[in-house]
Amino acid sequence: MEKGDKVWEVFIQKKSGLAFKHVGNVHAYDKKMAIHNARDLYTRRGEGRALWVVPTEAIVSVPLDDSDAFFDPADDKVYRHATFYEIPKGVKHL
Amino acid sequence: MKITINKEEAKFLVRIADTSLILGQRMAEMCSKGPYLEEDIAMSNASLDLFGRAEEMYKIISKIEGNQFSEDDYVFHRNEREYYNIKLVEQPNVDFAWTMVRQYFYDVYAKEVYTQLLQFENSEVKGLAEKVLKEIKYSHSKSKNWLYRLGLGTEESNNRLQIAVDHLLKYVSELFNWDDLDKKYFINCDQIETQWNTEIDSVFEEINIKRKEVPPLSMRDCRDGFHSEHMGHLLSIMQYLPRAYPDAKW
Repeated sequence: MEKGDKVWEVFIQKKSGLAFKHVGNVHAYDKKMAIHNARDLYTRRGEGRALWVVPTEAIVSVPLDDSDAFFDPADDKVYRHATFYEIPKGVKHL
Repeated sequence: MKITINKEEAKFLVRIADTSLILGQRMAEMCSKGPYLEEDIAMSNASLDLFGRAEEMYKIISKIEGNQFSEDDYVFHRNEREYYNIKLVEQPNVDFAWTMVRQYFYDVYAKEVYTQLLQFENSEVKGLAEKVLKEIKYSHSKSKNWLYRLGLGTEESNNRLQIAVDHLLKYVSELFNWDDLDKKYFINCDQIETQWNTEIDSVFEEINIKRKEVPPLSMRDCRDGFHSEHMGHLLSIMQYLPRAYPDAKW
């Protein structure tokens, strides 16, 4: 597509109450076209009952250069996992 | 093989099935020729919806006719004069505006046609209509949206939309040349025409498109199996394989 189009990220909810899942993206000029395109490309096989489209530019991500500073500090802190805690007696379904 | 259709109910329904089929074939031609990937896939899918709609209707027709012929027989072994689709849907994809105007004109018409089929006596037809109406509702919202985009887009898009409209309008009056069969099976023929005109006129006004006077075509009616010059070419492509290789299997 030429000038004026944007990329939109597509999210589908399988059924009410579940989280929306990212499934891919579409090109479109505006909201209406984006939701039509998303419907036509991503919901042909009963994938869901609700759709979100979000302009890709509206998504904020960590700059690639900064990824070490953002994520490396968590690498050696296994104690942050809840597995180090004793589960109190009487707690079921955990 | 000579395909015959004898019962009145089947003769009426085959018009509706043929119209879906031929529009489906036209839409299928757009596969890999869409203006961009998303619309390309959407048009191919719309085509599959139309084929599905036609196939189900041919199955019902086959049953009414005592299972003499299969849905494939109806599709691949009838000649031009044995087809009863409206001429509107056989018009070619000259450019994207033609494709969308043809689709929109059909969607507005089909919406009312299938709404009336909800009250058809044959329960299978009723069930099919219920399913199909959801498809049409979506298709209609999409094709209408495209008319607004093209009509209110640029001078160029408005011009090309107007050219498509001027041509395709010639094939519209035929939709409403009701004969006895139509009057017998539709609940209210006039309402199909009124609904169509009301919607088209109000949309045209909003998108700066003119509805010009159309002189009547010197072509005979689709209800008697008459078609425009494009139909034979369409069928020759659609029917080539099963006619050249009658034993071919999927």
